[in-house]
Amino acid sequence: MGTVESLLLGFSVALQPDVLWYAFLGCLVGTIVGVLPGIGPLTGISILLPATFGLDATKAVVMLAGIYYGSQYGGSTTSILMRIPGEAASVMTCIDGYAMAQKGRAGAALCIAAVLMLTLIAPPLATFALRFGPPEYTALLVLGLIFLAYMSSTSLPRTLLMACFGLLLGTIGIDNMTGHFRYSFDIAELGDGIGIVPVAIGLFGLGEILSTPSASVVRKVIAPRLRELLPSRREWRESAMPIARGTVLGFLIGLTPGSAHIISSFLSYGVERRLSKHPEEFGKGAVAGVAGPEAANNAASTGAFVPMLALGLPTGPITAVLIAALMIHGVPPGPTLVNEHPNVFWGFVASMYVGNLMLLALNLPLVGIFVNILRIPYAYLYPLVIMFCIIGVYEVSHSIVDVWIMLIMGIIGYGLRKFGLDPAPLVLGLVIAPTFEMSLRQSLIMSNGNWTIFFQRPIALTLLGLCAALLALAGLSLMRSRKDWRSRLAAAEAGENP
Amino acid sequence: MRCERARPAGGDEESVTLHTDHIVGGTFVAFGALVFALSGDLPFGTLSFPGAGMMPKLVAGFLILFGLLLILRARESAPVATLAWGDLPHAARVVAITAAAIALYQTLGFLVTMALLLFALTFGTERRNPLLAAGFSISAVALTYLLFDVALKTPLERGILGY
Repeated sequence: MGTVESLLLGFSVALQPDVLWYAFLGCLVGTIVGVLPGIGPLTGISILLPATFGLDATKAVVMLAGIYYGSQYGGSTTSILMRIPGEAASVMTCIDGYAMAQKGRAGAALCIAAVLMLTLIAPPLATFALRFGPPEYTALLVLGLIFLAYMSSTSLPRTLLMACFGLLLGTIGIDNMTGHFRYSFDIAELGDGIGIVPVAIGLFGLGEILSTPSASVVRKVIAPRLRELLPSRREWRESAMPIARGTVLGFLIGLTPGSAHIISSFLSYGVERRLSKHPEEFGKGAVAGVAGPEAANNAASTGAFVPMLALGLPTGPITAVLIAALMIHGVPPGPTLVNEHPNVFWGFVASMYVGNLMLLALNLPLVGIFVNILRIPYAYLYPLVIMFCIIGVYEVSHSIVDVWIMLIMGIIGYGLRKFGLDPAPLVLGLVIAPTFEMSLRQSLIMSNGNWTIFFQRPIALTLLGLCAALLALAGLSLMRSRKDWRSRLAAAEAGENP
Repeated sequence: MRCERARPAGGDEESVTLHTDHIVGGTFVAFGALVFALSGDLPFGTLSFPGAGMMPKLVAGFLILFGLLLILRARESAPVATLAWGDLPHAARVVAITAAAIALYQTLGFLVTMALLLFALTFGTERRNPLLAAGFSISAVALTYLLFDVALKTPLERGILGY
């Protein structure tokens, strides 16, 4: 079946009234989740995961993905109307977006261009990935970890340390190959290992709350009128090329593990300022300064779906939770997804076209309501978030042990933030640990203990070559101790305007 | 926080500033060592048939290695004394109240536990008006119950009291 026919199949699934309803619900919840400070897309997806158990895999993933890309729109609303970057990726939008207070919506509309790229790239990549055996998967996962460490704003050893911590947590439970219990301390629930949901919610949801005393949250909201939200003809003209550049840049960066949203919006802002005929307008409300980074930010979230769907590899904690959600519904993402579950894959892709249009229609008229949501005092908001965190974790497996794990992870998340460590590699390590261990051991067994198997197969050798190149580049940077884009990225993550 | 290095044989006393990466690196080196200690009964296996202990021990080794690297380069990180701990009392209160709620959740059920959790956080921690806090807690829990249990057909924990 060709791409066009497959996409038509996808639209036949996505345009069914019930699938449309769940896409709408996901977009609406995602926007609210993005608008509300303290609840990120990860928490939103995790909380609503149990609510999808009664749905089939297509509706479930359509709704959860809607929350993900809906939250990107909602996050922009917070940064534009309040000058508070809901997340680090919105820092660049804050700078010019607040000054404009209305023009950033246009960038989001062009996210559909990124969905088109997803349509064209994911299926051939999945077909190529069918050639992967255990050695190739081992090499690919090593590359993913090293790429994550290289692209991270914190230092290489710190990121790898966090990834190793996650890998170690991933080894808890029964060993699939030998049946040994590992570090379960006679707690029956730990036999199945540590779930991704309690870890992710604990680190990102509860950890964030613990690090944010309510007295520190002060809000000043701009309430725009609907007609002010529509860009003028001149603004459309000025934003067309930044949007196009931001979309391509964001999509490509979104394919890689790590802080894709932050890097893409950061780079896009830099590119637009460099290409602009009026760089002095940047920081005072330049259209390109909002449209480019916003398009890049949105496209990065779409790009992240390519490795998730085609290879079964998460590029961040959110796609890791989405992978867990698909697996709960009996649909393992990866190279076989396109052929074995075409309804899920193409239905999901088609729903993204529909969902992005829905978001545009949703965001313009409802911005007034979202502004009112922003006025909820944080002292009332964070107790609600904690309640939803407990419900979200408990309802996945009805295990109170999982809720305790969430609390412990929340405390760890607080500590990690305090000491400037990024929790994202920890979650990635936890997610890839079972696949990584299995493929590594299978590779060694199939080669009868010959570790050079990783260098005898062309794809694995190429991937390991890339690892070596990245490590060499990182080593060079460490030796020179030069401040590069990572230092500026770290400043952006810390909330300092570059 | 400052610690004193031992006085060199005929030299002056030299003070060493403790940096965040000293703490982070040291913690993970200790954690890696603990993993090794707990992995005693897990077989490493051979290269041709790796055992259940291979992956944890390998990763624990890397954990210790990266921890040591951090300690070696700790001077590049911020001094521990510069860390702000003003949010710690608030965080500790939130953790204590959440822990109590988790401990009571299966016994008291969703409605009672969550209403108490919200009230304890809004009134106890945030010092809001008690009537307002009670009204908020009860209405928020009731709405959430309706959303999950009735609208989304996701039954919430009922507890021994049956609601």
